[in-house]
Amino acid sequence: MSIRLQLLLVALTTLVLPWAGCQYARELESALRGSQEQSLLASAGTIANALSAQPQRVFRNTDLRAFDARGGDLYVHPLTNQPLLDGYSEDWGMAFDPVTLPSTSGYHARVQAGATERYLYLYAEVDDTHFDPEPNEVHADTDRFDRVDIWLQGQDGTNTNYFFATTAPGLNAAQLIKGDEVKDNDAKSSAQPELRLQPEPRIQAYWLQTAQGYHLEARIPLSFVAGRLWIEARDGGSKASAGFTPEANAEGGRLFFATDGLDGLLATFIREGTRATVIDTNALALGSAGSVAAASTNAAEDSRGGWYRLLLETDASNLPPLTSSGGRLGGDSVHAALSGEPRAEWVRGEDGRMLLTAAAPIIVDGTARGAVLLEQNAEQMLELRTQAFARLFRLTLMATATAVVVMLLFAAWMTFRIGRLRNAAESAVGSDGRIRLTMPGSRAGDEIGALARGFERLLARLNEHAQYLRTLGAKLSHELRTPLTIVRSSLDNLESQGLNEEQRSYTTRAREGTQRLQTILTSLGAAARVEESIKQAERLNFDLRELIASTVAAYRDGFPHNSFVLELPDDPCFARGAPDLIAQLLDKLIENAVDFCPPAGRINIRLARETGSYLLQVSNDGPRIPAEVLPHLFESLYEQRSGRDDKPHFGLGLYIVRLVAEFHGGTARAANREDGGGAVFTVTLPMI
Amino acid sequence: MKKNIAVVEDEPALRDNYAAALARHGYAVKSYGNRHTAMQAFRLHLPDLAIIDISLEDEAEGGFDLCRDLRAASAELPIIFLTARDSELDAVSGLRLGADDFLTKDVSLPHLAARVAALFRRIDALKRPDNAAEIIRRGALIIDGDKMQTTWNAVPVTLSLTEFWIVHALARNPGHVKNRQQLMDAANVVLDDNTITSHIKRVRRKFQQVDPAFDSIQTVYGMGYRWVE
Repeated sequence: MSIRLQLLLVALTTLVLPWAGCQYARELESALRGSQEQSLLASAGTIANALSAQPQRVFRNTDLRAFDARGGDLYVHPLTNQPLLDGYSEDWGMAFDPVTLPSTSGYHARVQAGATERYLYLYAEVDDTHFDPEPNEVHADTDRFDRVDIWLQGQDGTNTNYFFATTAPGLNAAQLIKGDEVKDNDAKSSAQPELRLQPEPRIQAYWLQTAQGYHLEARIPLSFVAGRLWIEARDGGSKASAGFTPEANAEGGRLFFATDGLDGLLATFIREGTRATVIDTNALALGSAGSVAAASTNAAEDSRGGWYRLLLETDASNLPPLTSSGGRLGGDSVHAALSGEPRAEWVRGEDGRMLLTAAAPIIVDGTARGAVLLEQNAEQMLELRTQAFARLFRLTLMATATAVVVMLLFAAWMTFRIGRLRNAAESAVGSDGRIRLTMPGSRAGDEIGALARGFERLLARLNEHAQYLRTLGAKLSHELRTPLTIVRSSLDNLESQGLNEEQRSYTTRAREGTQRLQTILTSLGAAARVEESIKQAERLNFDLRELIASTVAAYRDGFPHNSFVLELPDDPCFARGAPDLIAQLLDKLIENAVDFCPPAGRINIRLARETGSYLLQVSNDGPRIPAEVLPHLFESLYEQRSGRDDKPHFGLGLYIVRLVAEFHGGTARAANREDGGGAVFTVTLPMI
Repeated sequence: MKKNIAVVEDEPALRDNYAAALARHGYAVKSYGNRHTAMQAFRLHLPDLAIIDISLEDEAEGGFDLCRDLRAASAELPIIFLTARDSELDAVSGLRLGADDFLTKDVSLPHLAARVAALFRRIDALKRPDNAAEIIRRGALIIDGDKMQTTWNAVPVTLSLTEFWIVHALARNPGHVKNRQQLMDAANVVLDDNTITSHIKRVRRKFQQVDPAFDSIQTVYGMGYRWVE
């Protein structure tokens, strides 16, 4: 992995900044939420305290018995707009939240009540697939037809019985049943022929026939209504009925009304974006004010904040939904408050927005008579959070980007320096064996500079060694000459003493030994002598073709075991230089070829013209040269041969070839033959 | 009367070997280890021949100084450099200082003796009046084998002993290629190829000083040299 990549990875750790920012934003948000919960709870508490001081303005009925739907209690939803009498409840402006009327015979009927300032509204759905119309001449007690009876308890405590029936669906008035007040079951069951029917046009109803039965939507002036109302639906055919009657259920049929004026009272307590609801112990809303609709939301802001929000775990979809159905409120906070304990809760509103709810109990005389529920739109806070977070995120992202860019630039600079140093180190030892002693960037004070200086010291040492090695041959050749001469001259003297046969054989061997030593010394000093010859060489024009022809003729005599194949151009090849040196160059090439050529192998010598230069090639049938050796063959003191023969090899032969070639402005190179057999050495020499 | 030979050589073993060999050949040999003792002796009495090494003890070029001093003392005194230093430069310097021959220590003792004998013969021949000496004539070239003298177009060409023998060997059989070994044998000297080449070069130059058109010694690459007329 390159340093650049490593540093990039390191730079990426600065991404921890946005992460930390995220965490910070979350902490901040959680603190904000906490404080908001506290403040909303405090508000709720304040309102609850204020309301508990004047319970008469909050609670209309003083009956503390719990709301009992089974007992025929009805909650009268506060209606904000006047519904049209049409047999449908859709225009009530609230969710259908009916009470199922009890029935003994599987006769199903559901009812719901609502009130405006002047009217009480009833809405009933009765499952009665057979329509039994009202006969023209009605005997209230004896005739059987589909009817809905209501009993209204007046201010004076008397019950008045009305019923709705129809000859044909549509708008009609209620029928008042006048007669003795029905006191008990027995009285009702016994026929009362003197009962009279009288229409009551102030009570209006709409009868809508449906596939399942009929809907009845009725409107009763509030002046008719005191505290209780019983309702019963009866089937004309089967005599089945569903509902309550005052006879059966004298303690039931209570109507739970929202408290008049409570809305206005609550409105004085709240701010924009907050809704306050007062509930009684049955979690029924007695009054409410305000709206949680966001004051103003910028759509663009919203969508931009969206993706930041993805990074935050607080998501409204995880929250419990706001449980409020038809005026009856639910949720943890409501239950807690009704049991006397204030509680705040985050919920998901109907439109998916986050809402904060806080409920505080209204304590009257030591018991919780109800609760104040505050709902606040959390969007405002969320928006603040989102803005802060977006700013934080942008800042840290910018910081990260800057850090990455700076690190990348730095890495590029480091990599450049190291790369430059590496290139310099790789090429420090030239192909001619010369060593460059200076490294780039060695003046820098840092570790890379120190590395460069380390390289320089190393190269200086290496150079000393190389120098020493280069001169070692010449020195040895020179220094050993005197002792060798002593040995040889002593042998000369010894031999002149008149030795016997045996003694002479020893001196002969000693002489052979000195001869070999002499050869070794000569080869050791060869390069030095060639270098000296080159210094003193004179250049003259000569015919390369003739020179090669005559030398090869000599090699044929000198190496009878090898066959030489000579390939020459047809006309003379004039070159300028030192023919003696060229002859030495050829000597070395041929010696080399002979050394590697198998017995009876062929050695090809080829001279050809190329653009501007002559090409002298000597190839043999010997083994191929390993690729890794090829570039070093012409270096001084480079020797790969293991001692195969008696001749010493010091890695100077091909070095001499190169010296001579370069002296003539040419080049020397080695390669393997393309046909796969042996090596080919090529020397180029410039034409004149 | 025995000829006096002074051997100036700082290596005792070698010095003694040379002295012993030359004494065996009938010369009176005095050997010296450094320039000072040699010069002191030479001031009293000049030898008939001085064989000098170039580097003498702590003087790397002491032999050259000695040669200069000797040449100043006597113009005729034959001087031979016998040295381990075989570079072209040394040889040229030595011969320029007036040495008669320049031998490397590769030379064998019998060869050395032969060279010494030849040198004395040349000196003796020069002192004697002309007699029926061995004369080789090749066109403009005349070689007096007795006096070891060479002339080109009747102008003397001063050759060192080695050079003389090389020219002699080439000119005796014109057209025949003499390889390096043959030339070395002829010159009674062991030289490497380079030295032969430089000797040939020097011979050519000496002839060319007399006659710029001289081109009688021809190189046969890979084989040797031949004399062409």
